Amino acid sequence: MGDKIKALWRKTSWAWSPESERESSEAIVKNFWLHWFPAKVARASMDWNYSFWLGTASASLLLILTITGVMLMFFYVPSTERAYGSIKDLQYAVSFGRLLRNQHRWAAEGMVAVVYIHMARVFFTGAYRGPRAVNWVVGVVLFLATLFLSFTGYLLPWDQLAFWAITVGTSIAKQAPFVGPTIQFILLGGHEIGQQTLLRFYVLHVFFLPVLAWVLFAYHMWRVRKDGGLAAVERVRNERVMAPKATPKTKSYSLFGLTPGTSVQVMSSTGLEESDQVFSSPNMSRRIALVFLVVFNITLLAAILFNAPLEGLANPSVTPNPAKAPWYFVWLQELVASTTVRFGGYTVSGALLGGILLPGFLLAVLTLWPWLDRSPLRAGGRWLAPERKRQNLTFAIATLAIIVLIMVGVYLRGPYWRIYWPGQPRPETPRLY
Amino acid sequence: MDGERRKILRFIGKGSVLAAFLAQIGAAGRAFFPNVLYEPPSRFKLKRPDDYPDGYTLDEAHRLYVIRQKEAFHVISAICTHLGCNVQWRDTEFDCPCHGSRFRPDGTVISGPAPRPLDWFATTVSPDGFLEVDSGKDVARDFRLVIGGKGQA
Repeated sequence: MGDKIKALWRKTSWAWSPESERESSEAIVKNFWLHWFPAKVARASMDWNYSFWLGTASASLLLILTITGVMLMFFYVPSTERAYGSIKDLQYAVSFGRLLRNQHRWAAEGMVAVVYIHMARVFFTGAYRGPRAVNWVVGVVLFLATLFLSFTGYLLPWDQLAFWAITVGTSIAKQAPFVGPTIQFILLGGHEIGQQTLLRFYVLHVFFLPVLAWVLFAYHMWRVRKDGGLAAVERVRNERVMAPKATPKTKSYSLFGLTPGTSVQVMSSTGLEESDQVFSSPNMSRRIALVFLVVFNITLLAAILFNAPLEGLANPSVTPNPAKAPWYFVWLQELVASTTVRFGGYTVSGALLGGILLPGFLLAVLTLWPWLDRSPLRAGGRWLAPERKRQNLTFAIATLAIIVLIMVGVYLRGPYWRIYWPGQPRPETPRLY
Repeated sequence: MDGERRKILRFIGKGSVLAAFLAQIGAAGRAFFPNVLYEPPSRFKLKRPDDYPDGYTLDEAHRLYVIRQKEAFHVISAICTHLGCNVQWRDTEFDCPCHGSRFRPDGTVISGPAPRPLDWFATTVSPDGFLEVDSGKDVARDFRLVIGGKGQA
């Protein structure tokens, strides 16, 4: 009996702990979970200090969020009358419901941060040049999907934060030139926030945006392989002063050599020497498993230690004072609050300038950056290459500006959105909500 | 000649299938624009004029301020013209808790991001003696509803 169980365990797990080079190769071909990896990967791209495995951490968070999210769907009712109560039930009536919701919330906030830091890593290593430009754009869209998932997510509890975030969010959308009012109407499902609004944001949150995120994630991964692995591979190739080899024809996808271009290889597509490569199983597969477990345990620990916020029931009559967005949107709140410009009798609302035009401009620059960047290609794949000083400084300054705005919004803004310095007394405001 | 006819028929065939497909996408999209809205009417009754004391009174349900100066009434929207939060009357001015807009007692902007003054709503007295507000109808900043006698029109 014991032997049989042992044999069965070996049969299901051998691909994750191969005992020979042959098993390492076969693991990729014969295991469903590993088949989308190349048999061998560049040793350089396994380095913890190059990528910090932030992409893997982001994907881990997406997986945690999908699983905890689907479980929350068994308890949550997307109705303006019952949504808030169902969150209260999760907190007080459902066994481990609070833990589940906490983990979903902290993983979501963590994902916003980790995806941004992942993007910063790709920027500071110049890993978006050449053919990788397309994947950079996919990454930007994934970052946007993460933000919209967060936004639609914190609307669902139907508390004060939710109601006033929808109010402000859809009012910003209304400011868009020409199509604004139509967008607001279609988002709200009417002229006022109501049942239709909640249902629309709910379906966006639990179906459309997650599907978009997963499909783009799959494409993101596929592109990493098509583009020849991480940009660190390029660095190694430059160091070895090697011309990129023609990638070998492989059995699996271009049996007769009919397809032009780089095929998705079973064998290495990096074109590196044997000594610069390692087998994906177990070198990469185990690292991925480790990253997932670490990320999972951090979110679980956060869920045990800290409760996800929940304000009072949505109340259209009373706006919280001050009404603050979650930290990752506070910088936008600062922008809309301070960018109204008046010249003569003419006024451009901060809602348009700070809420749409400025973020739209930042997004356009971010998206098109690989084509605006004129740094030498061989500066890619290295952290903070001196040839990319101007580019890296630009990104660092923009990030710092956003962090400063977030700090001001989170720590200095008090009642009526006035600035209160640390130590300065803040007036008592009635908490009617 | 024969090939020409075949080409045209093929174009019509493929084209009609494609057109039907696109039309269905359009129809599905149209469904997201509601035809019936279950929203409160923009014209509604408040309390009787005499129920309001002198000064600024917040009507929470309708998100507006009823302002009484002896027998003269006017109604100012409490919805900030910037991004829709509720402004609060603080004895000398309206302040917004979301982005810090400040308004004078008549609703014009002192400072902050609000692009235009708070709305003034058309106000009448209904036949049965209640203040009646039309929030879909703006009035000028000198509008006053003057009520003679004991608050009856």
